[in-house]
Amino acid sequence: MKHTLILSWVTFVYFASFVLYLFRLITGKEFWGRAASLLAWAGLIAQAIALILRWKNSYDLGMGHVPLANLYESMIFFAWTIILIYLIIEWRTKSRIIGVFVVPVAFLAMAYASIAPDISNRIEPLIPALQSNWLTSHVVTCFMGYAAFTIAFGCGLIYLLKNKETGGVEKPAGNSGKLPDFETLDTLIYQSITLGFVFLTIGIMTGSIWAHYAWGSYWSWDPKETWSLITWLVYAILLHSRYVRGWRGKRMAILAIIGFGCVLFTYLGVNYLPGLHSYLRA
Amino acid sequence: MPIEKHALWSFFSSVKLTITLLVLIVLLFIAGTFIPSPDVVETFANHLSPGARKVFLFFCLSDLYHSWLFYILLTLLSLNLMICSLNCFPAIWRQYNAPHFPEPEGIFDNLPQGRIITADQESGKIKPIVESCLKKNYGPISKIEELRGHFFYAQRGRFSLFGVYIIHLSVLIMIAGAIIGSVFGLEADINIKEGESVNVANMTKGNGLYHLDFSIRCDKFTVEFYKDGTPKTYRSDLSFIKNGQVRRQATLLVNHPITFEGLRFYQSTYGMAPEIKAIVTYTFAGEKGGEMSLAAGDTFSLPQSRARGFVLRVEENIMRIGPAVKLRIVSQKKDVQFWVFQNLDQIVDANPGLLTKMPMFNPGLFQPFVFSLNRLEQTYFTGLHLVYDPGVPLVAIGGLLMVAGLIIVFFIPYQRLWVFIKPQDAKISIRIAGRSNRNDGQLQKKIDYLCRRIDEEIKA
Repeated sequence: MKHTLILSWVTFVYFASFVLYLFRLITGKEFWGRAASLLAWAGLIAQAIALILRWKNSYDLGMGHVPLANLYESMIFFAWTIILIYLIIEWRTKSRIIGVFVVPVAFLAMAYASIAPDISNRIEPLIPALQSNWLTSHVVTCFMGYAAFTIAFGCGLIYLLKNKETGGVEKPAGNSGKLPDFETLDTLIYQSITLGFVFLTIGIMTGSIWAHYAWGSYWSWDPKETWSLITWLVYAILLHSRYVRGWRGKRMAILAIIGFGCVLFTYLGVNYLPGLHSYLRA
Repeated sequence: MPIEKHALWSFFSSVKLTITLLVLIVLLFIAGTFIPSPDVVETFANHLSPGARKVFLFFCLSDLYHSWLFYILLTLLSLNLMICSLNCFPAIWRQYNAPHFPEPEGIFDNLPQGRIITADQESGKIKPIVESCLKKNYGPISKIEELRGHFFYAQRGRFSLFGVYIIHLSVLIMIAGAIIGSVFGLEADINIKEGESVNVANMTKGNGLYHLDFSIRCDKFTVEFYKDGTPKTYRSDLSFIKNGQVRRQATLLVNHPITFEGLRFYQSTYGMAPEIKAIVTYTFAGEKGGEMSLAAGDTFSLPQSRARGFVLRVEENIMRIGPAVKLRIVSQKKDVQFWVFQNLDQIVDANPGLLTKMPMFNPGLFQPFVFSLNRLEQTYFTGLHLVYDPGVPLVAIGGLLMVAGLIIVFFIPYQRLWVFIKPQDAKISIRIAGRSNRNDGQLQKKIDYLCRRIDEEIKA
């Protein structure tokens, strides 16, 4: 089981990357930021290799399926998409600041997946309901969406922290000066939410198509379906209040955090409610 | 327009209403996921006083997703969506057809350094350069000459103004599809035992029966498991029979529904039928006779004689000596009953002379036939779910439109650019400015790029 070894190393790499991002924030030296990014990239690549190995391994075991089939595999993939989308944003915006708030989420997901006693990291065979070509597209788009919302959540947190410290006024000096300015944060929140919204929409739709073929109905009011719709509506409310009522800044940040709460509940909380997606229960 | 001033109209055209409705729907959904399943609610309702029970059931709290409360919210939302769209349309239309000139007031004031290019050439040389640069990046452009100087205008993504309409239309189409599906659609379940044909299904909602104008036979049901016991495959081999003819034979798997005469069939469940099948063979005067698959209560005929056979019992382990069937054979002369044991040889070895002492245990009692029991087979029934949903195409179209609309709204901004060429002293200044309905940063980058291009072209 080589890939599990790689994955546990990757968990530590993400933690180290988070610590370096923190160093950068405290000392203000870009050296630590570059090191942190380097570690995050290394972790991303190593994790991709581990996922491919796990995929191959499942074929060796005679089951042959993408590593996206149970809670453990989805958590690992979630961490991977968070880092992927974060690094793309970092590269596009040339700003390393949100790493401090986003990379630890990926680390926590990895750590939770390997430490939680009720999550098994074994490769399990696919039950008939999951044997579908829609599995990959459904899971990948949903988690891309979740990851983008995670970034928005990270930016929302920074916004509120900075807002609390400065009272909403931009100050170049002091600790708050090291954080990105309010407008950049607001734009980042908005852009990651639009990205997440498109992915979530496609995720819900691929799920509907799959349900149409597997269960005979594109919508069954299963708790996970309903919660994904709740999440979608919360972000729809956010976007409408921005477009039409001109909400910006603090209100966006708060809504981004509420939205992320819905994402988490859709992903994890729902598993404690009875429903059709129960194979995700550990 | 007088209609716009109507109180009801303005109520339905407010975005506050939209947000309120969306929040209410979210709350209803949250309640819906936490309210336990209908039967638990029913037991709870029975504990309430008759008055409270009535109120409780009136609000249909057992099934919020199909309650009148939810339907009202959905109707209000649809009305709100339609009226909002109608209301905003003139403004959007004006925006779509907005004149290119004059440019928005003050757009060329306080431009940053890089946005003003100065050149020594005469304007007759500069204009074609600017024009070709703009055309290369933006396609058709328009121009005007004024006292102040020359103006160019270019735009991109104008149709994205209607992206919002595509999204909202898609929501309405999906709601329409869902309504059509729930009004004209059909959902039913059928359980078919292996070897049996059925043409009646139980409606999933309510207790009605649905009569098919064909019948479905389950030829075989197979369940396979992985080494660790996890189910691997559920497979039903089905025959669709109409007017006594097999019209189609197909294998039904989970995730691979079968469509027959407009109905879609899904592998939904399976189970063990209560009876067990006995695979019985016989010989006639020492020659091979035939093989039959029999369950308790079945009758069979023997082609070699006019006798009728009846299966009285099928036992998995009788008297702890293994599987056996009890048969009764009736002919014009005889009426005999006897047991057929699967392990007859061993039984006879252990009890020599048993067959003469106990004729009941002799499988050759009805001469010249000799029966033997090959094996017992567990029979399965397959559970099919059958669906007819005429709303699906609409929902699918709605879904596609929504994704298209979202991509247009989020990722294709409506960008407008103005270029102002002005003779200034002996030189010529070129100013570039723009407006975008979203993502201003992207536009600024584009303008920077354009400025660099024009500058390079002029110098070259």
